[in-house]
Amino acid sequence: MSGSSKSKQSLILLAFVFPALLFYAVFMLAPAFGGAWYSFTDWNGLNPAYHLVGFANYIEALTDDAFFIDSVWFTLKFVVFMVVLQNVLAVLLAVLIESRRRSKAWFRTIFFMPNMMSMIIGGFMWLFIFTKALPYIAEHAGLAFLDQSWIGDPKYSFLAIVIVSLWGGVGYLMVIYIAALQGVPDSLKEAAAIDGANSWQTFRSITLPMVYPAVTIGIFVTLNSSFKAFDAVFALTGGGPGRATQVLALNIFEEAFKMSGRYGYASAKAMILFLVVLVITLIQLSIMKRREVEA
Amino acid sequence: MSTVRLNSTSKSGIAERRRLSSFIVFLFLLAGAVITLFPIYMGVLNSLKTEGDMMNNILAIPSKLEFGNYSDAFEKTNFLRSLGNTVVVAATGLVGIILFSSMAGYKLSRTPGRLSTFLFNLFVLSMLIPFHSIMISLNRISMKLAVQGTTVGLGLIYIGLGVSMAIFLYHGFVKSVPRDLDEAAVIDGCGEVRLFTTIIFPLLLPITTTVAILNLLWMWNDFLLPLLMLTDADQYTLLLSTNMLFGQYGNNDWSAILSSLVLTMLPVVILYLLLQKYILNGIAEGAVKG
Repeated sequence: MSGSSKSKQSLILLAFVFPALLFYAVFMLAPAFGGAWYSFTDWNGLNPAYHLVGFANYIEALTDDAFFIDSVWFTLKFVVFMVVLQNVLAVLLAVLIESRRRSKAWFRTIFFMPNMMSMIIGGFMWLFIFTKALPYIAEHAGLAFLDQSWIGDPKYSFLAIVIVSLWGGVGYLMVIYIAALQGVPDSLKEAAAIDGANSWQTFRSITLPMVYPAVTIGIFVTLNSSFKAFDAVFALTGGGPGRATQVLALNIFEEAFKMSGRYGYASAKAMILFLVVLVITLIQLSIMKRREVEA
Repeated sequence: MSTVRLNSTSKSGIAERRRLSSFIVFLFLLAGAVITLFPIYMGVLNSLKTEGDMMNNILAIPSKLEFGNYSDAFEKTNFLRSLGNTVVVAATGLVGIILFSSMAGYKLSRTPGRLSTFLFNLFVLSMLIPFHSIMISLNRISMKLAVQGTTVGLGLIYIGLGVSMAIFLYHGFVKSVPRDLDEAAVIDGCGEVRLFTTIIFPLLLPITTTVAILNLLWMWNDFLLPLLMLTDADQYTLLLSTNMLFGQYGNNDWSAILSSLVLTMLPVVILYLLLQKYILNGIAEGAVKG
């Protein structure tokens, strides 16, 4: 190919990419680099003048800001619960639903439905359940254990957030796992059955290794979504009682837009969130990809 | 030993045990389905009750259907205006994302070389960046560009945030479109733009459906970005208007709130029941490739 035709090709490429690149650069790349830059400044959002402060924001957030440190630990706890519970529940639902013949489509439709809604809407509906319906049921059906201060007591509000997040998220993973299960050839399962394997053995030795790549995706998805959890918490508890359920995203949001307006400082917290998600997901992917090859 | 026992078990015994375990599985799934639908059911049920009826028995069927809650919610959330705003935001974003991403994804996939690879990686890399890490300076930038505070402006921002994933999906799909078509068209003297609009773009319809569904759901259900960008109640989307019903006067008026929750979720639930097949396929595809 001649040089001039190659540069013509590049020009055509740029012309096709330009509109997307323009919007992407202005609303995605610029804020991403801007956020990284401001995280090293004392910018307050209003005053155009600001100073570089080096790592001071990062040091303050990680050593001096009890609310932020609490929200990091709270988020980590939430992430661990979600990664385990959501994936176990989704695999279980997928396997059981796939074993049904006539009711398969119905169950899939129902379990996926919450995923279609904003977790703001879901969270508000559950707020009604937790504050109005459950106390009523507890009183009239004698199920005293349901009568908890679901939103007002930190122990139970954590549980409430986990329940609502599972409700909203498990259907998505279930769909991924069902797609993976449908990729397992029936001949393999039949062969195992002929060899006398029971259903648990078939599941462990045939199905699970075959859907392992989907587990990598499932854990990746849950890690990402639960580190960034915001909507359900916002709708259910608003981070309360006090700050007991303040996830990282909510802490950053409040720092920037509700309280101090310390944009530079809030940007440093946002960078910490980004780095934590990045490092943990990269570690997860590299470990699981390696095991996938071995499996 | 075990083989002996296996042989001694009658065939009908095995069939019976299988039926029993299948029944237990069914009950388990049924219980899960009931729990899943419970909040939605309770929301719909109580949105049709009077306040007194609700307090009296939250689980019961309404003693008299009270549609007044809905007219109340309609008014309080300015439903039609909020719906219109949401449609404007989603339509602006969707048109831009589909048009720009299909163009870019197609050319990036067809053009070999370092520039093309660099641009593709530039788009894809940002899929790892959480929204919360950009929202603070995005807020600043959109204020400066005067896209803050308008529904069309919000749609434009969604284009910038949405193209990455869409380009990734188009890029992958174009690989499966045979190149012969491009070459034949070029020989016939078809220009680049016409080749794309008349031949390539229609062939991309399956992935365009996926991109449209994923992005429509994202924009329709997104809360935080509109919360940051729309400052004037006239511009509020459905979710923002619904959110405003909470705690305005300290006490939650659940009748109006539940009605407005039902109204807000109705469009997506209808969409889901109509397009379920495409949605579930799109989700699986988007997740596996993303």
